[in-house]
Amino acid sequence: MTTAAIPEVVNLSETELGLVDEIKELGGEELLECIQCGKCAAACPLVLAGFSFFNKRVVQAILLGLKEPLLDDSSIWACQSCNRCVEVCPRRVNPFEIVQAMRRVAVREFALPTLSIEGLKSLYDTGHAVYLAEAGNTRAKVGLPEKPPSTVAYPEALKELQAVMRKTALADLGIIPMGEPM
Amino acid sequence: MPRIGVYICHCGENIAGAVNIEEVRKYSEALPGVAVARDYLFMCSDPGQELIKQDIKDGLVDRVVVAACTPRTHEPIFRKATEDGGLNKYLLEMANIRDQDSWPHWHDKEGATAKAKKLVASAVAKAALLEPLEDRFVDVTRASLVIGGGVAGMFAALDLANMGYKVYLVEKSPSIGGNMAKLDKTFPTNDCSACILTPVMVQVGTHPNIELMTYSEVESVEGSIGNFKVKVRKKQTYVDWDKCTGCGDCVEACPAKVPNEFNEGMDKRKAIYIQFPQAVPKRAVLDIEHCINCAKRTIGTEPRIHSKTGEPILAPCEKVCKTGACDRTVAYNPEGEVVELDVGTIIVATGYKVMDKTPFKEYSPQSPNVITAMQLERILSATGPTEGELKRPSDGEKPKTIAFISCVGSRDKRYHTYCSKVCCMYMLKEARLIKEKYPNINVYIFFIDVRSPGKDFEEYYDYCRNLGVKIIRGRVGAVDELEGDRLRVRAYDVDLGLPVELEADMVVLATAIEPAPGLEELGRKLGITLGAEGFMKELHTKLYPVETSVRGIYIAGCAQGPKDIPESVSQARAASSAAAVPLTLGKVVVEPLISEVDREKCSGCGICVPLCPYSALSMVEYKEKPRAKIEEALCAGCGVCAAACPSGAITLHGFTSAQIHAQIEALTVGIGGGA
Repeated sequence: MTTAAIPEVVNLSETELGLVDEIKELGGEELLECIQCGKCAAACPLVLAGFSFFNKRVVQAILLGLKEPLLDDSSIWACQSCNRCVEVCPRRVNPFEIVQAMRRVAVREFALPTLSIEGLKSLYDTGHAVYLAEAGNTRAKVGLPEKPPSTVAYPEALKELQAVMRKTALADLGIIPMGEPM
Repeated sequence: MPRIGVYICHCGENIAGAVNIEEVRKYSEALPGVAVARDYLFMCSDPGQELIKQDIKDGLVDRVVVAACTPRTHEPIFRKATEDGGLNKYLLEMANIRDQDSWPHWHDKEGATAKAKKLVASAVAKAALLEPLEDRFVDVTRASLVIGGGVAGMFAALDLANMGYKVYLVEKSPSIGGNMAKLDKTFPTNDCSACILTPVMVQVGTHPNIELMTYSEVESVEGSIGNFKVKVRKKQTYVDWDKCTGCGDCVEACPAKVPNEFNEGMDKRKAIYIQFPQAVPKRAVLDIEHCINCAKRTIGTEPRIHSKTGEPILAPCEKVCKTGACDRTVAYNPEGEVVELDVGTIIVATGYKVMDKTPFKEYSPQSPNVITAMQLERILSATGPTEGELKRPSDGEKPKTIAFISCVGSRDKRYHTYCSKVCCMYMLKEARLIKEKYPNINVYIFFIDVRSPGKDFEEYYDYCRNLGVKIIRGRVGAVDELEGDRLRVRAYDVDLGLPVELEADMVVLATAIEPAPGLEELGRKLGITLGAEGFMKELHTKLYPVETSVRGIYIAGCAQGPKDIPESVSQARAASSAAAVPLTLGKVVVEPLISEVDREKCSGCGICVPLCPYSALSMVEYKEKPRAKIEEALCAGCGVCAAACPSGAITLHGFTSAQIHAQIEALTVGIGGGA
């Protein structure tokens, strides 16, 4: 919920208008269809949580080329992927995809919040973005197998996931190791 | 004793929502002379009218009072019902308990009911004294006058001319074409304005039924539907148009320069000029105000003779004129010439003007790079001052960033409260033309909101967004001048929720559409009321949108209010069809509600004669004495003469003194003296 990055007055003459094309390349093809009706924002949990840049505002900021303020703010990482904005959008803009595309831009620029890096690392190491190692005991108490039927129980699946992840930009950026794990 | 039927309309909830109908009905029933009082949900509907007809047929009533809405729209309907029932249609009186009662007193049910009773009582009192009257018919002059030669006026004229009627098209500029001739391209299809307009101009100019009177203005209008007498002043051109071929040699030769109105003042024309290259008629006009009288050749003087050559010393314009059209020896009358036209109907299509930028101090109007959208239109046009090259006015550089500002003078209580309707679309159009020609120019449009409610308009807006035109919601607060002829635009982006500022090379103001200058005066001449916003008022917004309060006079285009080309053309063609009806019938009904002189009572004082606004009164010899006489065809039934006559010799039928006194008595003292 950082707002310090948002300037008091936005100088439209010092923006990066190329951001529009970048977003379109990275999955936000329908960006220009947005007419800022605000219906997506009415469905967005980020608005209720008080984040500065939620779907509608992310789109407008991209249209005006406000790359720096978007990267300096952590809002885009707070998206819960609920997909409600995609469902309600009357213009088929796919606001969620645009937020995702903006995340890809942020990754390219290595503008990731610490929490995201932790999550990505955990995903690589365990196959879960959030993994509670102590959860095994709790599971056993309620009669579940100690390890969930995921990468945790199937190390070969984790290897496959890691191989896929190494082919992404995450490895180039050093968030995950370049070579095979020991 | 008359048998009056009172018919009270609920008008759905319009009247019944404020007036206790049953109370008024009971009250009406008890009024002297009333045989029956009924109420109905919609008295003007078929079952409602049937109530009236049936009561007449049953011999129950011989006078009809309808307490309902306005006679302006509904009197003809109830007169017809009265006639269909078998009575003379002038045995009807209406009480307007909607416009004059339920609407203004909506929150005072008791008061509204009491007032409704009074209004009904007054109508009943008059109805008792109504007399049968017979309609008159007057022959119609089968010709029409169209005032204004823009796209609306031209289409109105063409339609009437194609129907076979004679049309006089009066235009105050030297050429027809109007504002549309100034436009580059037109939304929503981006047709080149000249390409679609100039052929129409040629059609108008060459149509055998159209008499084109350009550089002319309406001086006065008299008469009424079917027979208007119109005086038109043909302004002095100081060029013999019968000889002028529009070659332009005189224009070339003329040394006097004047700001060019056609290019919105962005370049100069000559004192002798042709309005624009595609002008119809293509004729030169000498703007005498700015003529510098070269070689001391004031108009109407003989040339001096050269002492050596013995040749006459001529001004450059007349020296180069091959046809003798330009001859300064002719003693032209500066007042021009007044011609009188006889027409049956008139269409007003005087168009609009765009507001100037100067009042908007917050937008740095002193900067040459702050221009109006109409100026940009001329810059973008191939016939404009830059021949279509986009250059900023201060130094001719190609701009890199352009900002548009919407609603400049519109939706603004300081200037015009209305929406000028076309600005959103023309800003998008201009932005699109720029973006398509120069994709690297950054175009920002600052809106309050984008209004694109027309066929194919929203799609046009989508297309512009997809071209990369930046849309910012938020009215611009200020434009500041910066170093190097640049400008800073300051606004608040409502969607971003942040203040924004932008450095731009050019700022384009979408200034408001205003009534054409002189519309108020023309309205006075025609007797047409103007709305608060200064545009001409139609008779009824929905049902009679091209008619005016004056029968036989119709309106089209922006004279009525801001509208785009498709709407102007539609309205023009609707107006021409309405204006053709009386011409086709050849006769029009004139209500018998006119004045009559009792020559036995007339003292011959003559007071009434100069008072008549329609020149219907004159003095004639009767029994060897001068007596007032009314020309029935000219009388419009205003009643001025009847009110002024000291002898009480003039009666206005339908509004006799006895009828009016009875109405006043019912309203004040109450019927039969009781309250």
